[in-house]
Amino acid sequence: MAEDSRNGESTHNQLHLPKKPKLATRFISEPEIRDEFSHHQHGIARINNGSFGSCPGSVLASQRGWQRRFLQQPDYFYYNTLRNGILASRTVIKDLVNADDVDEISLVDNATTAAAIVLQQIGRRFAEGKYGKNDAVLMLHCAFQAVKKSIQAYVTRAGGAVIEVQLPFPVNSEEEIIAEFQRGLAEGRANGKKIRLAIIDHITSMPCVLIPVRELVKICRVEGVEQVFVDAAHAIGSVKVDVKEIGADFYVSNLHKWFFCPPAVAFLYCRKSSSLPDVHHPVVSHEYGNGLSIESSWIGTRDYSSQLVVPEVMEFVNRFEGGIEGIIKRNHEEVVKMGRMLVESWETNLGSPEGMCAGMIMVGLPSRLCVMSEEDSVRLRSHLREKYGVEVPIYYQGIKDGEEGGARDKDGFITGYARISHQVYNRLEDYCKLRDAINQIIEDRKICRMLLTE
Amino acid sequence: MPLSLSSKSMASIHNHTPTTTTTTITNGTTPTDHDHEPNETTQTHLPKKPKLSSPFISPSEIQSEFSHHDPNVARINNGSFGCSPRSILAAQQQWQLNFLSQPDHFYFNDLKGGILQSRTLIKHFINADHVDEVTLVDNATTAAAIVLQQSAWSFREGKYNKGDAAVMLHYAYGAVKKSVEAYITRSGGFVIEVELRFPVTSVDDIVTEFRKALERGKSDGKKVRLAVIDHVTSMPSVVIPVKQLVKICREEGVDQVFVDAAHAIGCTDVDMQEIGADFYTSNLHKWFFCPPSVAFLYCRKSSKFCDLHHPVVSHEYGNGLAIESAWIGTRDYSAQLVVPSVFEFVNRFEGGIEGIKKRNHASVVEMGEMLAKAWGTNLGCPPEMCSSMVMVGLPACLGICSDSDTLKLRTHLRDKFGVEVPIYYRPPKHGEVDPITGYARISHQIYNKVADYHKFRDVVNNLVGDGFTCALLMDHSVEGS
Repeated sequence: MAEDSRNGESTHNQLHLPKKPKLATRFISEPEIRDEFSHHQHGIARINNGSFGSCPGSVLASQRGWQRRFLQQPDYFYYNTLRNGILASRTVIKDLVNADDVDEISLVDNATTAAAIVLQQIGRRFAEGKYGKNDAVLMLHCAFQAVKKSIQAYVTRAGGAVIEVQLPFPVNSEEEIIAEFQRGLAEGRANGKKIRLAIIDHITSMPCVLIPVRELVKICRVEGVEQVFVDAAHAIGSVKVDVKEIGADFYVSNLHKWFFCPPAVAFLYCRKSSSLPDVHHPVVSHEYGNGLSIESSWIGTRDYSSQLVVPEVMEFVNRFEGGIEGIIKRNHEEVVKMGRMLVESWETNLGSPEGMCAGMIMVGLPSRLCVMSEEDSVRLRSHLREKYGVEVPIYYQGIKDGEEGGARDKDGFITGYARISHQVYNRLEDYCKLRDAINQIIEDRKICRMLLTE
Repeated sequence: MPLSLSSKSMASIHNHTPTTTTTTITNGTTPTDHDHEPNETTQTHLPKKPKLSSPFISPSEIQSEFSHHDPNVARINNGSFGCSPRSILAAQQQWQLNFLSQPDHFYFNDLKGGILQSRTLIKHFINADHVDEVTLVDNATTAAAIVLQQSAWSFREGKYNKGDAAVMLHYAYGAVKKSVEAYITRSGGFVIEVELRFPVTSVDDIVTEFRKALERGKSDGKKVRLAVIDHVTSMPSVVIPVKQLVKICREEGVDQVFVDAAHAIGCTDVDMQEIGADFYTSNLHKWFFCPPSVAFLYCRKSSKFCDLHHPVVSHEYGNGLAIESAWIGTRDYSAQLVVPSVFEFVNRFEGGIEGIKKRNHASVVEMGEMLAKAWGTNLGCPPEMCSSMVMVGLPACLGICSDSDTLKLRTHLRDKFGVEVPIYYRPPKHGEVDPITGYARISHQIYNKVADYHKFRDVVNNLVGDGFTCALLMDHSVEGS
């Protein structure tokens, strides 16, 4: 039974692909990319990589290899293979994000889990009397819904206050974000609150904007915020991530969104400092007390295979010109190009300047569609999926009373945006399909409320 | 969503599955096209049996279902990590592919219904009153965190007083003990352990000790807020008289009873009305053939203070534990979705899961007695107090003197002899002469053969014959070497 831990043997898990000679200068070809994603449903314009991510066939094959080894002899795997495999993955991430020490990198299921870890720690401090009713947690108004609920569950319930900072959208510059954030922070403090934790998105989900996190973290430090947690669910594989530069205490990003891992795995970076926060995985197992990264590497019997393929994913991205940086750059350029193409056809606007987006961009929908509510946006999304085979999330931007500066097109206020993504498997046709679908709906004189869904 | 056979629900999902040939079933068996025969079972790679011959799965089919197990290992440790047959793994892959193929569609249309269907089948099986009482989580460890987190809030919010007690068995699972420390001790609770004698001679031993522990908890005006009781302890493995202990808890005014039955489903009888606990969890991947990993957590609707939440908070927070747990962020929920396929699988056996349980129990007792006889030792408990696992004394001359010896011996058995079996160290008591200090916990599951136990028997006899002792084993200070 010689199937042993990884020890640098990186290619033997890619069962479907011939072993690539290490000196090959040829990058992955278009047909090879198509083949890697041939399990994606044909006939769907899949322009929503942002929600659930994607995973190439060769990584899925590696994953199955890990799963098979566990099933074959689970005790052997547990005692000999698992820990080293997870350490190898954590080490790859540590290097990728420029962390100082591999102890600072934990692997968890997803950003939602990481948020629970960070917020439970805050909750405990309230419970143990370290924080009181004048202590607050600050978040962005557009923070991911799951994170908002987590704040409710762990902070509000424990008696803490919550400060929401509203960010402008559509947004025209980083300065707007910085100014609003500064204002929100100051307001919170003016009310006598001490901000114990600020949660800042690196790339907001809906509406999607690339936030100048480095600047915002600096402001937090200057203003005496105790801990900063960057929720960067979308970041890795979509923007450059340097955790030291960003300077937060906690930083989480999902590896299954833009970094080609299978569902689901995220890394949570916890900066080592003299006052080490007392973070624990909420699912307590044998390793309790041995540090978060060790605790997280065993939370009971489960399938850890998506955490184990990170080295294979690095190999995958290195088949592309420029590696992950090349992928990031090209995705960004393409999504901006496609965004502009749609804006031109629909005569609308982009939700942010091109420097404030990564692999996703918000594209204004024609006002004639009359996206007037959340329900309308859901209805439109379902209609696009079922009638036109287009998968794209729709965002509803309510107009505030008396607001003048809302985006407009020739027919009225733009209240709906499509969040388009570009990942390596996307093609021009995908976006043309969306363009034509919207144009068709308008030509048919339909508005959201009228759209039929199954 | 009406209860339907997994094959029908699979068919509805297949409307959205591309007919791609990239479906890979473990160990390279021919992928079959599920799309066109919606009324067949999902185990389509096995030949369809004519209905007039034996309707039950044959021994060679069983071996085929577990052909992915390492053939060189006598795998007599189903208790630790469980097992899953190939046809279930294939069904799981299909769910995984459905998600990967079009995740948004899967999320909006297929996931919730699939989880509800799994929960509904479990609800019927365990005789729960209502499907709301059945939640699916990763494993018993997660279930323990859910229950204990709720207790911690009760301490913090003043429902419980500092010093109120939680009672658990001394043989409670290590991870659960840590969880009790993390949530109960840390929030001000006092933990009492119930000592249990091992080897166990009768149910009365356990009952007596349990009553004593409850008394301690109630002294000085304190209350016992939570009892954590194993249904089948892990190490050493014994079936605990849970129904009796739950009754005692009710008589003595214990607020909540949580039964950690990690091993129970598929291994012993699991009836929520009979047992009567407030919370009950069991892993489906241990003895119920699900892939890693999935467990159910039962929460009685009428319980006091029943405000449980999944610790990973997501969109569904506040909508009830079962709904919260059905979405805890993007992840692979496929192990939770194959439960209907598993019910189909066990029904291929004579007597279904009941038949499997009976035969596993009978076989493990038979094998245990065979080994005890061959080695001149004893079993760790009476046969009626074991399930599909039994503790078998190892010859005293092997010199097992510590927990670390058991790990070394276990590794030696695995690496040198291809025998996988966990070993338990039972410290000698004062005055015992030549005590048996090591017990092997042997399991029997449908893939096991008599040869597995003969291999173990002979390996141990040879070690004894060679004058082997644990003291001869080097420390394995570097893992993976």
